[in-house]
Amino acid sequence: MNSTLIIQSLMAGLTNSFVYALIGIGIAVIYRGTRIINAMQGDFAVIGGMLTVFGLVSAGLPYVWACALGIAAGAASGLLIDVVCVRPMIRRQADDEAFLLLTIGLAFTISAAVLYIGGREAHLLPGIGGNGTVEIAGAFMSVHAIFLIAISLLVVCGLWLFYRKTIAGLSMIAASVDPDGATSIGINVARMRGYTFVLGGAIGALAGILVTPLISVSYQMGLGLTLKGFAAAILGGLTNPLGAVLGGLVIGLSESLAVVGLSSGYKDVVALTIMLLMMVLMPNGLLGKAGRRGG
Amino acid sequence: MTKTVLNGRLAFAAVMLVGLILPAVFERHMVDLLVYAGLYTIAGLGVGLLLGQCGIVNLAQALFYGIGAYASAYSTVTLGWSPWSGILLGIAISVAVALVIGFPLLRLHGFFLALATLAAGTIGTIFFFEWDWLTGGTLGIGGLPPLSVLGFEFNSPARFYYLVWAVVIILLVLSSNLVSGRPGLAMRALRDSAPAAEVMAVNIHAIRTKIFALSAGLGALAGSLFAHYSTYVSVESFTVQRSIVFLLIPVIAGARSIWGTVAGALFVTFVPELLSGFGDAHQMLFGIMLVLVVTLMPDGLAGIPARVARRFAR
Repeated sequence: MNSTLIIQSLMAGLTNSFVYALIGIGIAVIYRGTRIINAMQGDFAVIGGMLTVFGLVSAGLPYVWACALGIAAGAASGLLIDVVCVRPMIRRQADDEAFLLLTIGLAFTISAAVLYIGGREAHLLPGIGGNGTVEIAGAFMSVHAIFLIAISLLVVCGLWLFYRKTIAGLSMIAASVDPDGATSIGINVARMRGYTFVLGGAIGALAGILVTPLISVSYQMGLGLTLKGFAAAILGGLTNPLGAVLGGLVIGLSESLAVVGLSSGYKDVVALTIMLLMMVLMPNGLLGKAGRRGG
Repeated sequence: MTKTVLNGRLAFAAVMLVGLILPAVFERHMVDLLVYAGLYTIAGLGVGLLLGQCGIVNLAQALFYGIGAYASAYSTVTLGWSPWSGILLGIAISVAVALVIGFPLLRLHGFFLALATLAAGTIGTIFFFEWDWLTGGTLGIGGLPPLSVLGFEFNSPARFYYLVWAVVIILLVLSSNLVSGRPGLAMRALRDSAPAAEVMAVNIHAIRTKIFALSAGLGALAGSLFAHYSTYVSVESFTVQRSIVFLLIPVIAGARSIWGTVAGALFVTFVPELLSGFGDAHQMLFGIMLVLVVTLMPDGLAGIPARVARRFAR
């Protein structure tokens, strides 16, 4: 087997890693802010990708504004879900299973709605920075992939600062760690949960916009993305955005090696098996307890 | 109290009677849907036992449904076995697989266990797709023989209707007994307070693993019956979407109600059919209904009588 093939495959794996990481970061943000595992994070990506395609192609918006539309749509759906579904369920103190069923139901509904409104076809977007490629060690990487990685890293840094340095970020964490304590010092817990969903939705939509130029966006891709993102988040210890990047790298790169070594059909088997093993053997993620606190 | 018991028995007898004459009155297509409702009751019953009695969200039921269907298809079409031994083979493989994956995974709880079962189900779908020497891949396996007893073939929707619903009733009775007996008590104890149950010497992990295996066996039985009914199986029937539908059956019905499973199964077979009049929008409408059930009706359809009663009591 020649080394260029392996490098090429690893390069593709690296790009996928950051897609999984971005979805995982969204799951981590929502879990951190609400203690809910969001099984429709991948569908935020579908919403973001689809609305950007709509803005660019059908409405004729400039690229940047189309992206803004996509992200706004993700954020708005996050808010809508919180206000319409999560809030009444919190009020009646629904159990964990009910929230999981809710997000699974929403994933099903959104996928069906996108199918109904947008149709069966997959849609592509032009890459950020054009459709060019650069050569690295004899293998090719698209310029867009480099932008994708850079933007993902920016998001991680931004979240790190947001959760440590801003009042809003700290309040959001406080509201989830100790709702009663947070209320007693004047934090509006319900509003913070709303912000968390807005943030999670926006990050999900961003992931969708960034992945669309690579693999295109279609109505049924949400669940697959959610699972990979969840795998990345679990490896990272679930609350830590930086951990999700590490988890994304493990999943993405092992997948790409599985493609070279086994066959492309088994790449999801490898990724999901790693996730299952991690959940059973290292429930706190690769970074251990420290990873749970950090980020 | 004796009066309510009597009323309950009368209602039960009336439902049975209506059930007996339905295939004679309904057109073929409706009977076909009723057969599917029966199959889904069996698969959903397993998921419901896990959800209602143990608080476990199982998103891997299509995996076991698939194992049952493929075991029947492969053993009858390729190996030429009798259908009944194919069904037993499917149940045996499913239970074995459930024990192997359940033993490590059932140490997890809540969200994590649910997503672990989702991952296991997804891996299963990939293997069904990739092992085309066994499953026929996307082409599937056709030409399964119909089930027969003493030369009587269950080869029409009406005939199969009686077979599948007889099986359903037997299983529902057995499950009710299981749930009202000691195992059920132990399961509910561990669902409501696992530490307290453990103090009472309930072996949590053993019970959860056993119910998972039982659920898998029911899934395989439903899958095998499905294979012999439709006489054709392919990958599309065993996707994660199917697992979600199986999960919805107890959710819609109210997970703790055993007999309610029938209502849940009727809901997931007939409501999409009724909504199909709305054309392409029907899936979306079904999704919205589902979200509404989860958001507004924590006890599912089974909770409606209690709600109505509360409203009038005010």
